[in-house]
Amino acid sequence: MATARPSRINGKVVIAGLAITLPLLGVLVANLGRDPHSVRSPLIGRPAPAFSLVPVGGGAPLSLENLRGKPVVINFWATWCVPCFEEHAALTAAARGLPDVQFLGIVYEDEEARTQDFLQQRPSPYPSLIDSEGKAAIAYGVFGVPETFFIDGNGRIVDKHVGPMTRSTIAALATKAKEGAR
Amino acid sequence: MRPAAFALAGILAIASGAPAASPPAVGTGIEAPRGAQLSGPELDKRTEDIGALLRCPVCQGLSVADSPATMARNMKAEVREKLAKGYDQEQILAYFERSYGEFVRLDPPMRGVNWLVWFGPLAVLLAGGAVIAWVMRRSRRQAGATEPREVAIAAPADSDPPSRDTVPADPRLAAAVRRVRMLAYGWPQGVPPKAAS
Repeated sequence: MATARPSRINGKVVIAGLAITLPLLGVLVANLGRDPHSVRSPLIGRPAPAFSLVPVGGGAPLSLENLRGKPVVINFWATWCVPCFEEHAALTAAARGLPDVQFLGIVYEDEEARTQDFLQQRPSPYPSLIDSEGKAAIAYGVFGVPETFFIDGNGRIVDKHVGPMTRSTIAALATKAKEGAR
Repeated sequence: MRPAAFALAGILAIASGAPAASPPAVGTGIEAPRGAQLSGPELDKRTEDIGALLRCPVCQGLSVADSPATMARNMKAEVREKLAKGYDQEQILAYFERSYGEFVRLDPPMRGVNWLVWFGPLAVLLAGGAVIAWVMRRSRRQAGATEPREVAIAAPADSDPPSRDTVPADPRLAAAVRRVRMLAYGWPQGVPPKAAS
């Protein structure tokens, strides 16, 4: 019987172990800074899906096509969403401070009357559009609210933000949209 | 295989940091419908079938067909509308994939790194089986090679019992056997010193 030396390392076992653990370790290291809950939007870098929606309170439908040449910030929101409520002030302030950027709200799964009440109490300098069948939300791959898309003057989505934003975040991403068209 | 496939798909999606393969650009107004325009019970059935292949984005592991969420109902209505216009299953799935990514498909499509998702578990199972078979064969071969030495310790059935003072060839084992004999009988040779020849 061969004499087993307990201190000796079995090279084959070490190689097999490394072959299993190293790729997993690589996945871990590569994704350390990422939010595991967020699914990367395949739309970033692609043309923004077209839509033509009626503003809250009625009026002529507004389409993304008509805004070509100007950076656009599209914010999906709802009155029942508490973070949207908190974000509303930052968005209205940012919209007032960035007149060269077109801000748009798209109302997600909400009633028009409630939205109208909300906007009467907290006036907004930009229009909010009613997406009654949820088609725009589906086309933009919205998972929940608030979600905000930043589109450059060429109609290309340059970034997407999930969750409520501060004024500085909005300004930084809007600048990215402005630079995106250059 | 499905849950394992999805767990792995998740890991791979995170690992790649991007969709495994870019989905084809299909959607309203981009490509002409490829199928027949459906209506009636056939439209209902196909809507349910395709809804079962789509993940409800706001639910926990539910398909669009199974979920009562508004988002799922809207997506189902969109599927129905596209089927009525003549879009086929792959075009409709690709349409949703364009906005939600591969995540929206409940069955990861067989392409790119996803081959690993579908066949990886089987490959790992086969590799594991091969390793077990190899180890077993090797240990059997080693057992065959060491048999004569073991015969020296255990009495072979087809020959005379070994004399009581036999010790294993391995010097360490032999020393251990002698120690045991010393403890058990009081002498290390297995036979009383005077009887030893």
